[in-house]
Amino acid sequence: MFSYILRRLGQSFIVLLLVMLITFSLPYFEVGGILAPAYAVLGTHANPHTVHLWGVQHGMFRPYFVRFWEYIDQVFIHFNLGHSYKQNLSVWAIISIYVPRTLWLALSSLVLTVLIALPLGIYQASKRNTTVDYVATGTAFVLYGIPAFLLGILMLQFFSFGWPHLPTSPPNGVAPWAMFTDPLGFILPVLTLTLLSIAFLSRFMRSAVLEVLVQDYVRSAIAKGCSRPRMLIHHAFRNALGPIVIILGLYFPGLLGGAVVIEAVFNYSGLGVQVVNAATISDVPTVLGVTLLVAILTLLGNLMADVALGIVNPRIRIQGSR
Amino acid sequence: MINEPPPSELHSLVTENLASTERSDEVVAMWRQRTRIFVHNKLAVTSVLFLIVVVLFCYVGPLLYHTNQTNQATALNVAFNAAPSLKHWLGTDSSGYDELGRIMFGGEYSLSLGMLAGLITIVVGTIYGMVSGFLGGIVDTLMMRLLDAFLSIPLLFLLITLISVFQRSTVFLIAIIGATGWFANGRIIRGDALLIKKLEYSEAATAMGGTKWHIIWRHVFPNSMSNIVTVATFSVADAILFLSTLGFLGLGIQAPQTDWGTMMQAGSVQQSNGFWWEIYPTALMFVLVIVAITYVGEALRDAFEVRLLER
Repeated sequence: MFSYILRRLGQSFIVLLLVMLITFSLPYFEVGGILAPAYAVLGTHANPHTVHLWGVQHGMFRPYFVRFWEYIDQVFIHFNLGHSYKQNLSVWAIISIYVPRTLWLALSSLVLTVLIALPLGIYQASKRNTTVDYVATGTAFVLYGIPAFLLGILMLQFFSFGWPHLPTSPPNGVAPWAMFTDPLGFILPVLTLTLLSIAFLSRFMRSAVLEVLVQDYVRSAIAKGCSRPRMLIHHAFRNALGPIVIILGLYFPGLLGGAVVIEAVFNYSGLGVQVVNAATISDVPTVLGVTLLVAILTLLGNLMADVALGIVNPRIRIQGSR
Repeated sequence: MINEPPPSELHSLVTENLASTERSDEVVAMWRQRTRIFVHNKLAVTSVLFLIVVVLFCYVGPLLYHTNQTNQATALNVAFNAAPSLKHWLGTDSSGYDELGRIMFGGEYSLSLGMLAGLITIVVGTIYGMVSGFLGGIVDTLMMRLLDAFLSIPLLFLLITLISVFQRSTVFLIAIIGATGWFANGRIIRGDALLIKKLEYSEAATAMGGTKWHIIWRHVFPNSMSNIVTVATFSVADAILFLSTLGFLGLGIQAPQTDWGTMMQAGSVQQSNGFWWEIYPTALMFVLVIVAITYVGEALRDAFEVRLLER
């Protein structure tokens, strides 16, 4: 198991270098090339001379590979993600301000999703092709068809401008505790994110359980007199967990970046909105830094999912250790 | 999967077909049988009909319902945010464009861009997956690690970075959504290629001296066609969704052209004023189209799974 994890870590590191190469190369294709940030930073003072000076100052004219090597050195040896020209903050500072904000949103919706979607999926599978199943599947289909921003807008319309008059936006203060000052503000964004995730996860859970339900061991369990709830929880659920763990490992890190639309709709300044803003004003270090962070989390999520899969399903553990 | 025919019915369909057709007609029979299962699925047929109606609505509609969708309202001196009336069936939006005509006009962009971008994702994904899965070994490992790298960058970040990096033209939007949407497809098709490579007929072809490209083209590709078609359907839905999200973030198609996402964004601004006609008709249309496409995809998958019954 240990050597397996080590090998996977090595592979992940290579993938990470590829990510860095891709993201590092993109600004070269930008209109204005890698000097584009200069126009954003210098604003009205930008003229060919000052832009050139800025480029010299930031070492933009050195060869591509030298710059890439320095970037790798800076990230892995000095743990420095760079400095945002536009915000005049280190990228770490930006991350430490905005990651907790998005993390809070993503985590609470993830917990809710797992608590609702998994039982719902099992229930649907056990009541396959009944009215309940049709209604739940139909709802999931419609939720899948609604883009995240539209669902957010509808939520605002019905639950904020409409009756319960919930706050339209979570608290946006800069202080770390500011986001806890108005918990009610989180209801709508968390609910929107949760609904979207449930639509997606419950369908996976349903088909995973359906696949398990036709297995021989389930039939044996029923034959030996196992009650239906016990069979569903101890046999079906346990065995359907494998694919779900993998999907969650892939899904959660994506949520950090994917919450950008929800953040935009509910006017919450989280990580995603920061990146979108940074990308539109070609604040390259911020985009590179945050992308790198999310990529690391995604790779770790994959790895953890695979390890967790070994814990959930001993058969895979044996195969992996060989 | 809802509304699948009961197993007994499937079985009779399969046996009936196998009994009545000659071996040489097997391929034709297989497709006929798949079609029959697809047609059996009432909701799927409804979805297909609905999509045809929507396409006609968007492309033929403007010929019957004349509206001006390119001149700014100020030049035309019409009402802004006008409620639905006989003159403007679904009212006008905040720029004075006729809403019903706007839905047709925006739909043309949403559908055609989504279709083209979806096609790109499936073509690129298929080629990449086929080559990677079939060649195997170090090439496969390298190609898959590169895919991992692409997949671990959040898609929306990549999309937004690319769009702000390059200029925003319609052609470019198609290219960008196509270029960022194929990663998952590549992985699915690769799995298929790996599977088919191991089957007897591929091995037989190899034994008889078939070249790699011959086997990919004549054996692996036709046999993963079912999966490719299904994945392509979902890809189109995803591409339309992505385009609408870009529209919402203000990074989509530029005025005076529009797409459904941009329209919903514009409508949401007017929503607190109670101008419901600026968002709900578009939203309803959009969601129904996506649901219909997804449903067709599901039904196709069901129809193709008959292959498993034959074994």
